[in-house]
Amino acid sequence: MPPKGKKGQSADKARPGEEEREDPLQAVILADPFETRFSPFTLERPRCLLPLANTPLIEYTFEFLANAGVEEVFVYCGAHRDLVEDYVKKSKWSSRSSPFSKLELIQSSSHSIGDAMRDLDTRGLLVGDFLMVYGDVVSNLPLETALAAHRARRAKDKNAIMTMVLREAGTIHRTKAQGTSPVFVLDPTNDRCLHFEQMPNKDQTHFLSIDPELLSDHQEIDIRQDLIDCGIDICTPDVLALWSDNFDFQAPRKGFLHSVLKDYELNGKTFHTHIVSDHYAARVRNLHAYDSVSRDIVSRWAYPLCPDSNLVQGQSYRLQKGNIYKEEGVILARDCVILPKTVIGRGTSIGDGSVIKNSIIGRHCIIGKGVNVDGAYLWDYASIGDGSTIKKCIIADEASIGRRCTIDSGALISYGVTIGEGTTIRGEHRITKASRRRDLDEPTFDKSTDATIVGAGGVGFEFQDSDEEDEDEIVDGLIAANSMYNLANLSLESISTLNSESEDDVDFEIRHDRSAASSFRSVGSQDSQHAANFDHDASASIYDSLEQGHESANIQLELTALRMSTNASDHQVRRAVVVAFVKHITSLVKSGTSIREAVAQVFSQHKDLVDRSIFDKASSSKVDQVDFMLLLQTDLAHRDNGDAILLSAATKLIELDSIEDDGVLQWWGDAKSVETEELKKVKAKTQQLIDYLNQSSEEESDEDDEDEDEDDEDSE
Amino acid sequence: MAQGIAPLAPGLTSFLKSLKTTPADPSVEHLISLLKRRQIRNSRPCAIATTALMLRVVGEFKGRDAAKLVERIRQVGRRLTAAQPREVVVGNIVRRVLGLVREVLDDNTGGDSHAGSDAGHHSPAQHDSMTRPTLSSSISTFSPLRHAAAEPMDASMTSDMSDSSEMSRRPPLLTSHTSYAPTSAAPLVNSLFGLFSQPEDSNASTPTGATSPDGKTANSLNLERLADLSRSTNIDLKSEVMDGIRELQDELEQSDEQIAGVALEHIHSNEIILTHTASTTVQKFLLSAAKKRKFTVVHAETYPHDNTATHGILLTGRKRETRLDEDEDPWKPLTATGIPVYVIPDSHVFAIMSRVNKVILATHTVLANGGLVAAAGAHMIAKAAKEHQTPVVVLSGVYKLSPVYPFDIDELIEYGDAGRVVPYEDGEFVDKVDVEHPLYDYVPADLVNLYITNLGGHAPSYLYRIVADHYRTEDITL
Repeated sequence: MPPKGKKGQSADKARPGEEEREDPLQAVILADPFETRFSPFTLERPRCLLPLANTPLIEYTFEFLANAGVEEVFVYCGAHRDLVEDYVKKSKWSSRSSPFSKLELIQSSSHSIGDAMRDLDTRGLLVGDFLMVYGDVVSNLPLETALAAHRARRAKDKNAIMTMVLREAGTIHRTKAQGTSPVFVLDPTNDRCLHFEQMPNKDQTHFLSIDPELLSDHQEIDIRQDLIDCGIDICTPDVLALWSDNFDFQAPRKGFLHSVLKDYELNGKTFHTHIVSDHYAARVRNLHAYDSVSRDIVSRWAYPLCPDSNLVQGQSYRLQKGNIYKEEGVILARDCVILPKTVIGRGTSIGDGSVIKNSIIGRHCIIGKGVNVDGAYLWDYASIGDGSTIKKCIIADEASIGRRCTIDSGALISYGVTIGEGTTIRGEHRITKASRRRDLDEPTFDKSTDATIVGAGGVGFEFQDSDEEDEDEIVDGLIAANSMYNLANLSLESISTLNSESEDDVDFEIRHDRSAASSFRSVGSQDSQHAANFDHDASASIYDSLEQGHESANIQLELTALRMSTNASDHQVRRAVVVAFVKHITSLVKSGTSIREAVAQVFSQHKDLVDRSIFDKASSSKVDQVDFMLLLQTDLAHRDNGDAILLSAATKLIELDSIEDDGVLQWWGDAKSVETEELKKVKAKTQQLIDYLNQSSEEESDEDDEDEDEDDEDSE
Repeated sequence: MAQGIAPLAPGLTSFLKSLKTTPADPSVEHLISLLKRRQIRNSRPCAIATTALMLRVVGEFKGRDAAKLVERIRQVGRRLTAAQPREVVVGNIVRRVLGLVREVLDDNTGGDSHAGSDAGHHSPAQHDSMTRPTLSSSISTFSPLRHAAAEPMDASMTSDMSDSSEMSRRPPLLTSHTSYAPTSAAPLVNSLFGLFSQPEDSNASTPTGATSPDGKTANSLNLERLADLSRSTNIDLKSEVMDGIRELQDELEQSDEQIAGVALEHIHSNEIILTHTASTTVQKFLLSAAKKRKFTVVHAETYPHDNTATHGILLTGRKRETRLDEDEDPWKPLTATGIPVYVIPDSHVFAIMSRVNKVILATHTVLANGGLVAAAGAHMIAKAAKEHQTPVVVLSGVYKLSPVYPFDIDELIEYGDAGRVVPYEDGEFVDKVDVEHPLYDYVPADLVNLYITNLGGHAPSYLYRIVADHYRTEDITL
């Protein structure tokens, strides 16, 4: 029985099952998952307020919690707190009839989920078992059984600290995380999770390494890869304590779960799973998931979370045959065609002869005549000019598309962007009006319009990926194998995916052929899990500093600290430096600086950084220098003008004496530098430099060089 | 499902509990969100929740202005129906409460003419159908089908239904007319329903159904008479309406028993009865017949949307899914009384129909044209029955009877979770195939032979009359 006082205070609220409960069920919503996978939209709006089937994401989360009978909710906000607060204040959830007796917003300056958890621990808000969910969960799961099972376990064993709710899905499923896949090793007899690993793991392999003891200790073991992990965790306060004890955990699965399970011997904590095979559960964790969850909702897989449930006050959707949902006050021209699986919000008008298919259209959109919309997501107040063709893309609030435009699959057009008449936007474009000023999450509108992209009369420019990280380990990159949101080019461009995919592409090759020759890559691959974070953190911080023009001494200091704390290898340091430099150079080049100037500016200003990462000037085999050049080459292979930049960079480095002549020549001769077509291509221009160096340094044998030349010619 | 612990998730029980302490406005919001979230679903829970809420709304109403009260109820009703337009029952209950208010008003304004007759079918002067009072009352004196005889269908819709709550109380009236002998209308009412409900009265096998309403309604009628006495001086609008709502609650409670009361009239020995879906009304009906007779039941399981509940009701006597039955006594399953029950998939219905003597359908909503909305599969069953000339009997409480005409059938049918039809795990399927999963079927009136309500049995073509008796024209659009 609950204490009397408590009962009195919350008795007027929905309070089911009060006899059983000792504490009110609490929940934490992580409204900001500290990622940028929804860029550029998240520049101006918090992710949890992005509309999914015309309903803000966080509504689904609230619904889910209300469904589960949660009473106290804490919303943990990062960026855009004011917007979230405004929204929540106005919503029905903070009204008197709200099923929650308490709804609190917590502002934090955390930069990762780990920080957020530790922050929560210090606040001491959570007294009993609580639910931890993300602000983007869409689920109609009833949690009674999971909670009951959790409590029963907990009563038996204090160490059963967490229950993860997982949804079964087949091997191929659109709503599953793409790109990376979590693997759970379970003991089916007691639902215990024995081991967790995310594929590809930090060694970039797809091998699962299980402690042999697990096999001997457990009669049965399930190794499952067919589960949708929707981030619904039933936790005890011990979980927070555990986060606090391990201050370097950043990600809840890859970091926290993986390590705590590994250290079972030490801490004795057990994790359990609750696997459901009916009901709907998914997370809108990236754009691909946004697409598939939207489709699930429209096709009523998530029933009763459908548009015609009108979850938000003021909505009035009605279902028509073929999963067409129309709100009241939709204006349709007589001969426009609305095909199945379409949602149309109030006040939207659709002109003559337009065909709308598989699309979600917000409120007050204006769609002209003869427009073809297929699979698109139009948010409120978007407008489409006559005769345009809109494919599977997202067009955000108040964006306007001119006449006879073509928007290809995968394009993202952010708030208020205007696309000029007759423009074609290719799939990989992300166009925004707001650029983020680093460290202040304030959008600023100072960047100029890029007319080559948005066309004459357009407003907006290509979004530059800022280098935030996917801390969440359930990362599947933006790229899904067969997704329309194939943003491959973008993610190669960005540092943020360094940890996940591009590393796979890039490093795999290098390490592969290197394993015999040199040892330092294998050092890298044996790095502790912290080192994995290093790549990203370091390159991000260097890039930041470069952008803001910090002194190189300061950057160096920061880098050293980071290297020490994560025990990163020299190779990793070099890679971080190279990645950040190249990124900065390319952004300078894009903003109009000439290549030579950009290279000169970056390398001469920050010569120290390069020097401090190369330690082999004295020795005759220039392993470090070769490595540096290789990294540079590999990174540039994917960039525009990579060859030109490589030439200038190499010249500059020699000029600055950061890399010696020998180093460059050894690099040139290194087998790994001619591995793939791309690599050969990017180094082609540097031939002139090599020629020059060969002339000046007589001792280098000509034969090698000629061989090299022939090779190059053969390949091109 | 949840063993041992009280259900955690909100539902009807939690709503009713919270209603005791929460003021009306937040309760309205609460119910709206429960309806939207489908945590309260199906006719009976919706009806119970709405009635309880209406009691609260009326109870909190301040002031004596009847027009304001009507407006207030309508406003609440509009919001509730907008929240879940497919739970038609919500609207029905609201309309009946409105009818109650109007009736109390009419009783008072037309007080002098009221004194003689309690059936209240003379209409007060302020109604639009000025010409009709004489007509209807004159017919009523000699014809049991007074209204039906008097009016064509449209007229009945516009006719004044001053007696709506009386009508809703008619079965009690029937059973209690002895205690209410002075009323001149009593024999008349008796004759009106003699056709179908006479057996109910005389039937000794349904003592519970007959007696319990008896006492209560007699009591409430007494109350009303007391109110009548004080009416001339001071009307207590609120308490009268609240009394009416309580009677409505009683009606909801008793309708199943009352329907079950006539079971022996319809189920004969050694018959084969086909039914479908998990319906407490049908189960109680069959159980009541099973006390006396031996027959066989063939149960279509209504896969996929209702099969768990169907299995539950057959095996244990309670729907596993619904949360409300914790406060409801579970009853013995049919098999425990020695009735053989065969569960068949819906696809076998046609094959087995040739051997079935009678089809008994449960319903979600009955519409004014005699058609009904019932769990998916009902249309197919009714069609198959038509093909084999098997009689189709529909069991429905009067509260499910709606004044709505099905102009757009699609609007009435709810589409549910596609995952019940195809497992969501089947990724490729989910990606490429659109799955539709209608929860309800519309069964046209011509496929139904008989409706049994708590008022007795009716032909589908007669339903409009009951609609006219229970709902007022001015309330049909909320």
